[in-house]
Amino acid sequence: MTFEILSTPLNSPASLIFQQCLTEVDPENRSLNSAMNEVGGYFLDRADVSPLSKELWNKILDQTKNERSAHPIKEPHDPFLSQLPVTLRSHLRNKNIKWKSFKDVKVASILPKENNEKLELIHVMPGAKIPQHTHEGNESFLVLHGSYSDEYGNYKRGSVQVRSDDHNHTPVGHPQTGCIGLAYTHGKIKFSGKFGKLLNLIAN
Amino acid sequence: MAKVKNPFVEALQNIAERQDIGSFKKIFDYFGPRLKSFLMKSGADDAIAEEIIQETMTIIWTKADYYDPSVASPSTWIYTIARNKKIDILRKTRKAVLEDIETAILPPVESKADENIEHDQKFEMVAKYLDDLPKDQLDLLKMNFFEEKSHGEIAEITKIPLGTVKSRIRLALEKIRGKLEQDGRMVNLNNESESMVN
Repeated sequence: MTFEILSTPLNSPASLIFQQCLTEVDPENRSLNSAMNEVGGYFLDRADVSPLSKELWNKILDQTKNERSAHPIKEPHDPFLSQLPVTLRSHLRNKNIKWKSFKDVKVASILPKENNEKLELIHVMPGAKIPQHTHEGNESFLVLHGSYSDEYGNYKRGSVQVRSDDHNHTPVGHPQTGCIGLAYTHGKIKFSGKFGKLLNLIAN
Repeated sequence: MAKVKNPFVEALQNIAERQDIGSFKKIFDYFGPRLKSFLMKSGADDAIAEEIIQETMTIIWTKADYYDPSVASPSTWIYTIARNKKIDILRKTRKAVLEDIETAILPPVESKADENIEHDQKFEMVAKYLDDLPKDQLDLLKMNFFEEKSHGEIAEITKIPLGTVKSRIRLALEKIRGKLEQDGRMVNLNNESESMVN
């Protein structure tokens, strides 16, 4: 499945961050991604040439005058952020993570919603249970830290599950570690259990 | 065996080590016009394409010390930066949220001197493998990873069944991955494990 995700052309910041996190958490994914990028580089090397405007080089020189090589800033140690892939850490640097709490599950938006796409960090506390729900559209969920299980299996760091609207499940965070995951959604989540209607109102 | 160093590896190192404008110009002269045709084929107009090139060149200038010749060939590194910049610049709401994504996963590289020269060869092997592929197979890879078409779109264009499109692309990528891993620095291919899907 990761092959499918990695070889889907990137067309949004959400898909870019999700793919990059995917390559970070699993060396197999990283090497597959490197192979894909090498194909891109191969064709760039052999691409046609389009003439550039005369001013472009000077514009670039002007811009680079004001830019200096920026080495990574030593960040204060943040126990939560340190569990995340570097891509997310550097993206979230100097930003306040705004969590929405649903009892033992916290959700934070990583990017402003764009074209019905959402990228969210989901933090499931140890042993916490997410009410039964289906997904409207597709959701790709990548486990970044800890693990969780549902009616269908147990999912560890680096595993990705893709769920569509006909998939109904009740995830539970690992009793000791809980679970942090990255959810990339095209469409709204839909709760289907006893309090489904109410939760739908809150979540959306 | 004589080892030929890729001139752009050297250029990137010169930028990283001593802000060498001549090397920077060399990269611009070669990659600028190629990036422009790549960007204009994927939906950018003339002005936007040049804006993306300008941003890409600025990243090359400021982040050249992140370039690791053992991880990617120069054209691949530059291609990846431009593609990511394109995603950032082409979208509708342009909030500056993607800063640093290009290099986030790569730590700056220590001074490399000559130790990495032999790594060029694995990228040459990848290029040689692609050179030797039958054209119809090479076209599938080009459509997927350069023209950025989905497997479904490729199947439609080529009239090749979707499953065949996927398996051919996957097979070629596994071959390329094998060549990239030949120096033993990367993970073992044999432990291929599919992620859990349901």
